[in-house]
Amino acid sequence: MSEENQVEEQPTPLILQKLEANHADALLAHDETRGTVVVVVRKEQAYAVLEYLKTDPELAYAFLVDVTAVDNSQMESELMQFDYARFMVVYQLYSYQGQCRARVKVPVHENDLNIPSVTRLWQGANWLERETYDMFGIHFEGHPDLRRILMPDDFDGHPLRKDYPLRGHGERERFNFDKQNA
Amino acid sequence: MGLDFVGQGAAETDGNIITTTIDKVVNWGRKNSLWPMPFGTACCAIEMMATLASKFDLSRFGSEAIRFSPRQSDLLIVSGRISIKMMPVLKRIYDQMPDPKWVISMGACASCGGVFDTYTLIQGVDQFIPVDVYIPGCPPRPEDLIDAVLQVQQKIASGASPKGVEAVYE
Ligand code: SF4
Repeated sequence: MSEENQVEEQPTPLILQKLEANHADALLAHDETRGTVVVVVRKEQAYAVLEYLKTDPELAYAFLVDVTAVDNSQMESELMQFDYARFMVVYQLYSYQGQCRARVKVPVHENDLNIPSVTRLWQGANWLERETYDMFGIHFEGHPDLRRILMPDDFDGHPLRKDYPLRGHGERERFNFDKQNA
Repeated sequence: MGLDFVGQGAAETDGNIITTTIDKVVNWGRKNSLWPMPFGTACCAIEMMATLASKFDLSRFGSEAIRFSPRQSDLLIVSGRISIKMMPVLKRIYDQMPDPKWVISMGACASCGGVFDTYTLIQGVDQFIPVDVYIPGCPPRPEDLIDAVLQVQQKIASGASPKGVEAVYE
């Protein structure tokens, strides 16, 4: 990020300045796209960083807009720098105070799909994390009620993963009436 | 209509005697007072609402008494996408409707999955419940839905069994 940018857009660099001062070891990369700061954060410190972003009186990212994930398994090179994590869990934040947005991305490896739940910080994360679990199979540790939210309870697989076939594994022909009615 | 006026000749009975059969009278009543159970799950339901509202006014055809309880209705209008999570609900609602009952599958999605050839969408509700009249279109215009109701009426007037009854006795 250039020097002028920092002068022009006061709230945007503030988050980076503060993160670099307080959580430098957690930061893997940062970027800016259309006025939104994007930070890539190590999974181990993700909860601490999000808590910091929410509770710091100057940043005050009080609103969790969305939690979702991205499956990078069919994407080339770009993310290899984070020693290839298949999934990126994405948190969209908004600060009423600074009237600005921030995006926090956390790489999650396929062989360890656990990530701390942020329901203790934002109650609204409950259903968002359930959807992310349903669609990608990310396991949010400490979530009060981690069940599927969109697909039927007995559904097998996580449909937004890139290796899930568009037409499914035949679920739409052979689902179980009785089990679901029970 | 199946109602024949007789009694021509004698002045006091002229046009005042009607001969028919019980079936025909019952069917005549049924056809002109269909009570639809709306099962609107997507955009097609908007057209269904338009059909019911004042501009298109389905009550001109005797079908304005929308019942949100399947136990009080005899025409199921499936309008919209049915997912594999919704299909058991639809099936249960169909099962709760008293016989005789007719089903209209409204729009491409309900009839064949439409553009949503995906893991979660039923590719045609007729795989699981018997459908009497299909309406093509995405979405069909209210006139199409009215036409489908008229086709159901014709079917009733002709004395044909609903698809569901045929399926049981076949
Ligand atoms: S057929 Fe078209 S209008 Fe009807 S539910 Fe499907 S997408 Fe919507």
